[in-house]
Amino acid sequence: MPVVAPVENPTEDEAREAYAAAEAHFGHVPNLVKALGSNPVFCKSITEFVIQALAEGRVSWAFKELVVLKTCRAMGSYYAYGAHERLAHDLGNSAERIGDLANSIWETSDAYTDAEKAVFELVNQIAVDANEVSDELWERLRSHWDHGQLLELAALITTFINIGRTADTLGVADPVLFTKPVAAG
Amino acid sequence: MAQLPYIEPEDADPVTKQVYDDAEARFGMVLNIFKISGNAPEIAEKMWQIYFDILREGPMLDWYTKELLILKSTKMGDCLYCVTQHEVVALREGVTVEKQRDIVGAIYRQSPHYTDAERAILDLTAHVMIDPEEIPADVWARVKEHYSDGQIVEIAVTIGAYLQVSKFGDALGVKLEEVWYGHQPVLFVEEPPESPGTKHLLDEFMAQTPVGG
Repeated sequence: MPVVAPVENPTEDEAREAYAAAEAHFGHVPNLVKALGSNPVFCKSITEFVIQALAEGRVSWAFKELVVLKTCRAMGSYYAYGAHERLAHDLGNSAERIGDLANSIWETSDAYTDAEKAVFELVNQIAVDANEVSDELWERLRSHWDHGQLLELAALITTFINIGRTADTLGVADPVLFTKPVAAG
Repeated sequence: MAQLPYIEPEDADPVTKQVYDDAEARFGMVLNIFKISGNAPEIAEKMWQIYFDILREGPMLDWYTKELLILKSTKMGDCLYCVTQHEVVALREGVTVEKQRDIVGAIYRQSPHYTDAERAILDLTAHVMIDPEEIPADVWARVKEHYSDGQIVEIAVTIGAYLQVSKFGDALGVKLEEVWYGHQPVLFVEEPPESPGTKHLLDEFMAQTPVGG
């Protein structure tokens, strides 16, 4: 049993809105949303934020899922790792692009572009010490990605550090995130 | 300078402008961390709502308690930007300098300035920051003695959100605004930062002259 009791049928407006939005986006209400249900205000703001992250953006959703997976690995947080692997696959990533994320294999893998590898470097550095991201890495990142994309990537990495940490703290598991089909845009 | 441009209010699109207006209403100014998020307005809008929900009384925890969680988590994350600002905000919310100083390390456990309830959630914060897989059962028992499920959600979310914003701002190289120059740091004087990057930023900050004397 998780630390807090999951709420199955919320009665307050904010939580009901969050559950409806989650249902529409994921096809069901994920366990993390139910765990936040006892605090309707945060249930709503966090659910809406995660929905925004798990969709096509300035960066393709397919690549965003690889960034999420690398972030989970770098942080040692596996609350929804399996679900994100499935999602990465459904969005068109090969088994090699998913598997080669492990440890340092991505560094020498042919499955990624230099632009993508620079993002994985950013993930690892943010996980270890965000104060030590070098100017040189930022220069490389800016040569591959525009400002809006880099803001999105920095937000995405830190969002999944946040969500993973919160879910691990509360003892939530979401082995399935999407029960409806997803497709790369 | 930061690693991406700050989008100033006069250059902001309507979505960003609304976020800036909300931030200004709450904090009296548009901080650099908001301005950098103007590079992707649709993300800023959703992201900052969580922080607007944290930095106020309620919904289930008082702002004072949330400032303790923020100081503890951002100090452990070596975030000069967050710690400096929240030392000021915490003081405004009634957390005295003496009490702030005792939040570092394990001093709060013996400090007369802390209640048992506060000690329990600061122990929780420390475990969450170090390794959420190793939170001892007795810590949870003490937290649950004092806080409801909804409050525990708010505690976990506050720690997670400040882990996020610390790493977000630090990775992007967001700098403290001039308005903070001259602030006498409390937590990092009590216990210096571990990160070489934060040490450098602290030295730089301490060498700044307060604006307007």
